Amino acid sequence: MSDPRDPIVFTGSGIVCGAGGSVAEVWEKLSSGETAVRIFTQFDPTKWPVQVASEVLLSDRELVSDRKLHKTISRTDMFGIYASEQALANSGLPAHRDALPEADQAAWNDRTGLVVGTGGGNYKSNYDFLPLMTEAEASPDGALPHFGRELGNLVTPMWLLRNLPNNVLCHVGIRGQYKGTNACITNQCSSGILAVAEAAFLIENGEGDRLAAVGHDSPFEPEMVYYYHKLGLMSGAAPRPFDALRDGTVFGEGSAALVLEKESEAIARGAPILGEFLGFGCCNEATGIVDLADDGNGVSRAIEEALGNAGISKSDVDLICAHGNGNRASDLTEGLGIQRVFGSAIPQVTAFKWCYGHLIAASGIADLVMTLEAMKRGVVPAIATLGELDPAMGSLPVSRGTSVSAGAIALVLCRGFGGMNVAMLVRGR
Amino acid sequence: MAKFQRKIAVTGLGLVTPVGNDVDSTWSALLAGKSGAAPISNFDASGFSTTFGAEVKGFDPESAIPNRKLLKFASKSHRFALAAAAQALADAGIAPTEADSHRWGLAVGAGMLSVDYEDLRVVHRHAAADGNFNADGLMDPAFPGNPLAFCRWQANAGQALLTKQFGIRGYASSVHTACASGGQAIGTALKVMRRGQCDRMLAGGFDSMLNPLGISGFCLLGALSTDNDNPTGASRPFDLTRNGFVLGEGAGFLVLEDWHAAVARGAKIYAELAGDGNSLSAYRITDSPPDGNGPIQAIRQALGDAGITAGEVDYVNAHGTSTQMNDRSECAALKAVFADRIGEVRVSSTKSSMGHLIAAAGAVEAAVCCLAIRDGVAPVNANYGTPDPDCDVNLVLGEPGKGKIRAALSNSLGFGGSNSSLVFRNPEEVSA
Repeated sequence: MSDPRDPIVFTGSGIVCGAGGSVAEVWEKLSSGETAVRIFTQFDPTKWPVQVASEVLLSDRELVSDRKLHKTISRTDMFGIYASEQALANSGLPAHRDALPEADQAAWNDRTGLVVGTGGGNYKSNYDFLPLMTEAEASPDGALPHFGRELGNLVTPMWLLRNLPNNVLCHVGIRGQYKGTNACITNQCSSGILAVAEAAFLIENGEGDRLAAVGHDSPFEPEMVYYYHKLGLMSGAAPRPFDALRDGTVFGEGSAALVLEKESEAIARGAPILGEFLGFGCCNEATGIVDLADDGNGVSRAIEEALGNAGISKSDVDLICAHGNGNRASDLTEGLGIQRVFGSAIPQVTAFKWCYGHLIAASGIADLVMTLEAMKRGVVPAIATLGELDPAMGSLPVSRGTSVSAGAIALVLCRGFGGMNVAMLVRGR
Repeated sequence: MAKFQRKIAVTGLGLVTPVGNDVDSTWSALLAGKSGAAPISNFDASGFSTTFGAEVKGFDPESAIPNRKLLKFASKSHRFALAAAAQALADAGIAPTEADSHRWGLAVGAGMLSVDYEDLRVVHRHAAADGNFNADGLMDPAFPGNPLAFCRWQANAGQALLTKQFGIRGYASSVHTACASGGQAIGTALKVMRRGQCDRMLAGGFDSMLNPLGISGFCLLGALSTDNDNPTGASRPFDLTRNGFVLGEGAGFLVLEDWHAAVARGAKIYAELAGDGNSLSAYRITDSPPDGNGPIQAIRQALGDAGITAGEVDYVNAHGTSTQMNDRSECAALKAVFADRIGEVRVSSTKSSMGHLIAAAGAVEAAVCCLAIRDGVAPVNANYGTPDPDCDVNLVLGEPGKGKIRAALSNSLGFGGSNSSLVFRNPEEVSA
């Protein structure tokens, strides 16, 4: 879809997750086969059936230096602001803008936009009401009337603002004065990768000149672990995508971001070019909130749509970065979908969640950021936790070593609740 | 010149609002300026600083959506969404089939995740009786965690239920930019269709924050009108004495189709969904820029995207929340865009009747613009009494404003400074 004469390119990337606070740090873990899934520390794991996650180790101050802001945003927002501003700084855009004549800066800001994909909320935010609830439950004049009456005395007036799903959009916009076209996508796992696609099309259609696409999430919290475990989706160790003995996924947390613009503009300002957006497909399985189609038809349809959108043939694809979340049904149907499209000529398949866990809303864009890094370095990281490939995957050529060339074109897959399947094609540079 | 030039028609509408559970009843209430506000009935709100809201009334989900199994997974706002979407598809007279379901898409503005008070009470009892959360309480075998509630709480649960119920198998997404969500969802659908990714889409928004935790956030922020002794007169956009918005709930959906496909099947076309614009105010999280800088860019982008000038707009469905700052900022933006035509453009905020439907507002108001174009009549800006010199726009007062509407503009301006504007054109003005 991207015009081959002046393609949409990626000119900056940023990431923060359990495996590190920069692309280089995460690459170090990923390429050396070291998982960042560890015993978690945010609550006591002793009594829990699941005791691991991939937590971000940076402090709030390291994530967002402005302490005043900490009161008005939540943990996931800190990740999002951090990765967005890292990607923007790496692209050189803020410095470029600041060097423009002052008279031109307002128009530049109006053409600079943001598309954010977020988890949309968490359980923890509601725990601010718990002390009030304790008082209310003991009140002789009824719990709810007491709750309403004392609300302002026990809960911060900033409660709603701290939990706005569009906080990263707004704060990155305010901090950087980016005022252009924007969106905030709250579509669970697929949010971040959808943000990349929407940003690319906004530029392609001339609605903005340059955009940052961001995904961020902090799914790791007790109630989420409890429910994912109850639904049989959680493993007790680093996920093993496509392994015969895989038994679930593990939460990560964090954010990833990419800056997109036209190649001509990137070249004109001497920006680094990390890769090229080629095309995108998005297909729903209409299976409800958590169920998957047995045959992986959403995966194969999304890949076909992306190939058509990019105007390339399946034989052009050199590398697949799979969703590979380590769940039995998800990996199986993903493998079936890949096989349906590529038949006996399947490109090399890898997946990254074994390293930094499942970032949910940020998962697809984090995988994309690291896929672009793999292409740049010409190295495909192995799935380090893979023991025996599930025979049900047939001959899926899953990456076991780290020495294979990445080739030119990669396909990144992202799946999610709500029957979502997204496929994105990029060319490495 | 934008690259993607496909023309998109609105061929179906569905509404569940505080003034009516379908399109006809809502529309007649809006023309009459009837208020949907009343003391809150679904929980004891007597202790809250605001004790009233604009609730949906007499809504029966099982007759609207005869799918009990699916309804188990549906929260209140999802039920409104399923009902309004079903209405919109029935109105359009078309629905996804096995053969074309992959070319149908969905874009929704979904409300903020708000846990039910009763669900939080269960967590409180087992894991925070003293007020401090202790995760081990969830490991208590007696903790009755409810996976159904977990499913309902997923950020894209509404998207999931809608795609399943109607068999939509193409693009699907949920967006949330606070009060601009509904407008942004329809703008997203426009973009997806223009770039050829879908041929037909269901686009809309749904929300319900009229529950104890939902209303708490707004009470804490001081954003709601506290006219507890006068609920029906509390939402008075652009009136000098306005003092906050009235929280509403509901859903609105539009069926969007390729224009030529709609004409070819003889569909009734309400309007062309002609343009979408959105901007960030990048000002402050709660405050609106007093000079309209931010909303101005969104409106101009939407007009440019629609390929029309400000001179062709005859009606503006304002965001008009009835807060001091929003209404002043929005009027400053309208005056900047419409300049010397500001006295000719009819303006009304239907939040004066329905209250503020938050993530659903932009979608419901988009449907209102389509109805206004169809009937050549602008709904009233109810409850207006005292002029505000900063808001001296041409408000539709008392009686609905009759006269052909060539194009209508719908504004949705969200907390955090996300601004969304949509332009709808009268089909008579559209050259095929």
